[in-house]
Amino acid sequence: MADMESSLEFSSSLTSSTLPPPRTRIFKIIVIGDSGVGKTCLTYRFCAGKFPDKTEATIGVDFREKLIEIDGEKIKVQLWDTAGQERFRKSMVQHYYRNVHAVVFVYDVTSAASFRSLPAWIEECRQHALGHEVPRILVGNKCDLRHAAQVSTELAQQFADAHSMPLFETSAKNPQGGTNDSDHVEAIFMTVAHKLKSQKPLVLSQPANTVTLRGQDQDEEQRGNWGCNCWRS
Amino acid sequence: MATTECTKPGRQFTKTSPDPQHSEPWKRHIIRQLKYRDKAQKIVFQDVIRSYVKLLERCAQSAVITQGLISSPRLFPSSDDLSSLKTATGELAYKVLELQQEIKIKDTFLERQHTRLHDTQNSLMVVELEKGRLNSDVKKMTDNNLLLKSKYDTLRERYQHLDEVYRNEKLHGSDILEDMIHFKEQAAARMNHRNERRLRARQAGLHKELEVAASESLNTEKVSQSVSLPSSPLLHRNESGEVLERSPLRPFRSASVTSPRILGSIRGLFEGAVQDIMQIKVKSLRKKRRGNSVSSLEEDRYTPLVCLVARVPTKVIHAVDAHELGINAVRFSPQSNLLATGGTDRVIKLWDISSGMLHYRGTLDGSNEGITSIEFDSMGSRILAGSYDNSALIWRLDDSVPKFTLTGHSRKVTAARFRSNLRQVVTGSGDRTVKIWDLQRAACIQTIEVLSYCSDIVCSDYYIISGHFDRKIRFWDSRAASCTQEVPLQGRVTSLDISPNHRELLSCSRDESLQLVDLRMSKPRMAFRAEGFKCGSDSTKAIFSPDGSYLAAGSADGGVYIWNISTGNLETCLLDMHRTSVNAVAWSMSGEYMVSVDKSRCAILWSDI
Repeated sequence: MADMESSLEFSSSLTSSTLPPPRTRIFKIIVIGDSGVGKTCLTYRFCAGKFPDKTEATIGVDFREKLIEIDGEKIKVQLWDTAGQERFRKSMVQHYYRNVHAVVFVYDVTSAASFRSLPAWIEECRQHALGHEVPRILVGNKCDLRHAAQVSTELAQQFADAHSMPLFETSAKNPQGGTNDSDHVEAIFMTVAHKLKSQKPLVLSQPANTVTLRGQDQDEEQRGNWGCNCWRS
Repeated sequence: MATTECTKPGRQFTKTSPDPQHSEPWKRHIIRQLKYRDKAQKIVFQDVIRSYVKLLERCAQSAVITQGLISSPRLFPSSDDLSSLKTATGELAYKVLELQQEIKIKDTFLERQHTRLHDTQNSLMVVELEKGRLNSDVKKMTDNNLLLKSKYDTLRERYQHLDEVYRNEKLHGSDILEDMIHFKEQAAARMNHRNERRLRARQAGLHKELEVAASESLNTEKVSQSVSLPSSPLLHRNESGEVLERSPLRPFRSASVTSPRILGSIRGLFEGAVQDIMQIKVKSLRKKRRGNSVSSLEEDRYTPLVCLVARVPTKVIHAVDAHELGINAVRFSPQSNLLATGGTDRVIKLWDISSGMLHYRGTLDGSNEGITSIEFDSMGSRILAGSYDNSALIWRLDDSVPKFTLTGHSRKVTAARFRSNLRQVVTGSGDRTVKIWDLQRAACIQTIEVLSYCSDIVCSDYYIISGHFDRKIRFWDSRAASCTQEVPLQGRVTSLDISPNHRELLSCSRDESLQLVDLRMSKPRMAFRAEGFKCGSDSTKAIFSPDGSYLAAGSADGGVYIWNISTGNLETCLLDMHRTSVNAVAWSMSGEYMVSVDKSRCAILWSDI
């Protein structure tokens, strides 16, 4: 009987083939920030196009994927919605940063504490993503609550400049609150995806026999642009 | 008084007696007597008489005095006495008044006291009543308290119980959380792994394409010029116009050659590539890249039945003691996510390998003896196995009980294969026959006498190839049941495998060599040997890699040997993991995993990552 059940179980799993290597490119983007700044809402907003009714603390990590098309090429954006609470992330940190293509730091404009802990997040990122510079952006969430804002745009901009990151202020709940864009959240992630696509394909750290294909100088130049540009609304 | 009266007569009596003096003596005696008696008795009363007399005198005296006394005071109580008496009377009267007043006061006081007493008694009664009431209240309260106490106790008990439950739940919750984090971690690791695999597969594919392109350029040097890799897309475009469209020369690789994504990726690589890559003929690859971005979700789900690139495994990912006795056969499902192992312990075990580990998924039983061979059908939904109990068995993957048991051979079934139409099965046996079975009727429809112990077979729709202990490979036309060809070898044939493009046949034989037979010429094309490679048993299985570029076989020394077909040399040798002779190896269709199984029930999963 037990055998029967287990057989039934795997017969269902047979249908979901996991192995075929797909041809679409995948960009792994991790979303990092304090607990409760709205990482889950941001990613949900981007992938599902709406604000989630209710969310609970993310445990470990949640994966969200969205297929987008840039210049006619289909690209899968794989968002890693990470846990903000230390006890829910513990041993997972190295998984977050493995072969990541871009890092999104999120803070809450209504919480100065979440802004103050950004250096710690950036430091963590620096420690784990030593191999290559990955594009990083800074997102101030919940700017629909402008009246309760504790972090001024000027301060955030200074901070972003100091760390050569572009700053975006948005709201996952009400993107129109701070901008004229129809959907600012989507625009932010699309910008990242554009950036990633225009980059050289990242090469894995892998066995020595692989030919490394990377235009070093070109990379550098692009990174320079990336750091200085500030897209703000 | 009486005495006086007595004495008087006596005296009278004596006074009379002396008269008769001379009377008779007796009379005188009596008189004397009487006189004596009178004397004696008179003495006694003398005092009394005297005091009586005195008394009488005194009495008279006192009577006189008394008379005087009575009459005298009437003369003296005069004004003094009266006034004093009057004052005394007055005083007394006053005293009486006072006393009366006092009495009155006392009375009123008493009365008050009485009323107070009364009041007090009343209040006492009230208080008594109150006391009674209070007593009853107290009793009620006590009862209530007892009730409450018992309630409290039960509540407390419940509280304690709930508290314990809560604590347990909390513990449980933290356990679950721990598990959840653990699972999430695994999921993250899997996701990373998958991403890496995709990327690696892409790169491996690109590499292969580059190599192909490079080698093609040598063959067609006269037609097109070899150019160094241009570094700008503009140059590309200019050049791509010059080169000729090339039809793919290797049909079995056509799937990969025409895959637009690969080309797109190649372009990506080219654009970023450094100059030292090598000289490459760009050719048609670049021609086609225009359409590179036509990809879709369906592409992700597409299961390739043609492997593009097999990666030579380099290290052990997971080792497990899979069976209770030696393992004879191992196969991957066509989707590469499921592994089946068959052992001498009569069962087939299924393993999930999607997370880079072998996870036990289930057991297929029904065979009465050990399993000799396993095969999945091309859909991956059924498993066919040959058994030592002279039968072949077919299971559906969702049922652990065999769907068909094909009996009819008189010795063990050494090999069982699906025909490509999936409706027929071919079995080879030690009883020197090959039987063809129709699955719709579950019956043997043809028996071919094959002259010798048949150790393995391969088949297509039109032919059957069998390997024998008399050192021959025989080709059979399955419709005519006639032997069309024989290929002699140097040793007993232990296994056969057919290349993915169906053009080459691989045989393993006990002369410690692998032979590649070109099916179009039907003759040995190439022999593969290696120092240390030794065929461990009469059923050692050698296989092609899924892309047809490599050969793999296990050796008696526990090593797994992999040869590169294009060079004819040993590519790698995976030693020191198996303690005993390796019976069989399987290479996943996806090209990334290899599994080897040995006589001492160990299964090892290999990969290159």
